[in-house]
Amino acid sequence: MSGATKKRRTFIALLIGVCVVAVGAIYGDLQIGYYTPVNLGRVAQPAAPKFRPDGVYRVAAYPLYQPNLVPGVGRQDAAAYCNTCHTPSYITMQPPLPAATWKAEVDKMGKAFGAQIPTGAQARIIKYLDTHYTPQTRKR
Amino acid sequence: MQKHLSDYTRRSLLKLLGAGGGAFALSHFAAANAFAQQQPAAAKRLSPFTGPGANPYWNSVGPMATYPQKAPLILLTDRPVQLETPRHYFLDPITPNDAFFVRWHLEGIPNEVDLTSWRLHVEGNVNKPLELTFADLLHKFKPVSLVAVNQCSGNSRSRFEPRVAGGQWGDGAMGCARWTGVHFRELLEMAGVKNGSVQVQMQGLERGKGPKGMPSYAFKKSLDLSNPALDESIVAYAMNGEPLPMLNGFPVRLIVPGYFATYWVKCLTTVRLLDKRDENFWMNPAYRVPDTPRGTTTPAAVAADKVKMIPIARMPVRSFLISPDGATKIPAGLPVTVRGTSLSGFGRVVKVEFSDSARGGWHEATLGEDFGPYAFRTWQYAWTPEKPGTYILAVRATDEKGNVQPDEGVWNPGGYLWNKIERQEVVVGEAA
Repeated sequence: MSGATKKRRTFIALLIGVCVVAVGAIYGDLQIGYYTPVNLGRVAQPAAPKFRPDGVYRVAAYPLYQPNLVPGVGRQDAAAYCNTCHTPSYITMQPPLPAATWKAEVDKMGKAFGAQIPTGAQARIIKYLDTHYTPQTRKR
Repeated sequence: MQKHLSDYTRRSLLKLLGAGGGAFALSHFAAANAFAQQQPAAAKRLSPFTGPGANPYWNSVGPMATYPQKAPLILLTDRPVQLETPRHYFLDPITPNDAFFVRWHLEGIPNEVDLTSWRLHVEGNVNKPLELTFADLLHKFKPVSLVAVNQCSGNSRSRFEPRVAGGQWGDGAMGCARWTGVHFRELLEMAGVKNGSVQVQMQGLERGKGPKGMPSYAFKKSLDLSNPALDESIVAYAMNGEPLPMLNGFPVRLIVPGYFATYWVKCLTTVRLLDKRDENFWMNPAYRVPDTPRGTTTPAAVAADKVKMIPIARMPVRSFLISPDGATKIPAGLPVTVRGTSLSGFGRVVKVEFSDSARGGWHEATLGEDFGPYAFRTWQYAWTPEKPGTYILAVRATDEKGNVQPDEGVWNPGGYLWNKIERQEVVVGEAA
C-alpha cells in the first residue's frame, strides 16, 4: 500500500467519524427541544406606578381583551347586546351547554337583569348560541 | 510487519471512532426524545374551555393575565374581572395579596377611591346613622385580626356533572389572609340598632349598567342580624398587613369567617339595617342552595320545581393536593413530600388523610401550623413510590365537628358547595 493511499484512507475515515459525531450532536440538540418555537405567550411586567401623598388611591385601567366568538349568523347581536353589561367571553368560557340552558341565560339577562334586547335580536342570539355552543355543535 | 500492524490498528481505531460517533449521536438522540416527552406542556396550549364532561384540570383553563397590583393570574373574564389563583400558591397557609383570586359581579369596579370623600355609612333601622372615615375606623375602634379563608361559592364549579352555567372556576377561587379591622358588631352598637331589625344588608362601590333597583345596578348581600357569624365578622382595612388590593375590595371589605365569599362585600360603603328580609336578586334566587343534606339535588327535581332553596352559608370541609401536581415524573424510590391545604367553615380541620392507589387505605398526614379555626390548614405526607407505574393520590379532611369529606360530588343549579375528595395522577418512572 502506498503512503499516499494510506494517508487518504486515514483522512476519509477521520472525516466520516467527525461528520457522524457532528451531525449526531446537531440533530440531537435540535431534537432536545430547548429552542422549539412555542405557542404560549409571554406576559410583560408592569411598571411601578407613581403616587402623590393625597387622599386619592388609584390603580391603572383594567385591561380589556377581544372576545373570540365563532363567526356566524347572530354573532353581531351576541357581541353587541351581551357586551353592554359584560364581556361576551362569558359565552366562550362556558362548557358546551344545552339549548334550553342558553335560552334560560338569555331570558335571565332580560327578566332578572333588565337588559333591553329587542325580541328579534334575542331570538338571533339564542339561535347563534344553539348553532355554535351546545354539546352537539361546539367546535372551539 | 510492524508497519502493517500499526496501520491495521490505526484503521480500527478510526472505525471505532466512527462507530463511537454514531453511538454518541444515537444516545444523544435517545436522551433528547426522553427529555421532550417530559415537557409537552411547554409548547402545548390548553383549549379555552372544558366540557361537556367535568374539567379534568386543577385550575380553570383560561390564559394568564396581569392586572394592577396582581401577579399573573388565570383569567376567566375581563369585564367584570374574574381571576383565579394558580395551584402552587396554596402550598403556603397565607395567600399573598397579589395572588389572591378576584371575583366581581358587575362591570363597574372602582379604579380609584378618594379617602377624603369616602365614608362607611351605617344606616337604615338605626337610632344614630353613622358616616365613618377610613381614619375613624383606624382610630376610634380597637383593631382586631384574624386569619380566614375566603372562598367563592362557585369554587370548583367546573367539576359539576352535568355542567352548569356560571364562572367555570377550577379549585383556585379561594385564598387565606390575615384580615385586620374593626368588629362588625361594634359598628352596629355605635349606631344603635332599632327594635324590629331582622337583617343587615351590605353594599359596596360595585356598579353595573342596569337601571337603579335592578340587580344589574348594584350588588347587595344580607345576613340575619341574629346570625352568630356576625359575632366574628370584621370590617377589614388591612389584608396580610397591607392595604387591600383595589380588586380585593379597597378600602374595606366585610369578613365573615366560615362563610362563602358572597357575603364578604368588597369596597364596602353601606351597612343597612333592614326591618324585613332582603329579597333582592343577589339573595333570592341567586346564591341559593337546595335545603338538602350537602345541598345536593338533581336536574330533574329542579326542573319539576320540587326543590326548596335557601341562602348559601358555611363552607363544607375540603382538602387539596397541591404537590406533586402531575407535571413532573417521579423516579421510583425517591422520597417525595406530598403537600396540600385544607379548610372548613364549620371549625378547624383536625385530620387530613392521604391515600395512594398502590397501597390503598387512608394514612394520617402531618398538619401544618394552626392559624385559627377559619384559616387554611396545610398538611404534608412523606411518600416513597417503590415501583414504576401510574399512581392515583387522594386526600380527605375531617373538621372538628366530625364532618368528613365524602367521595361523592354534589349537584345543584348554581354550581355551589363542591367538596368531593380530590385526586391527582402521578407517573413514577424507572430509576435504573
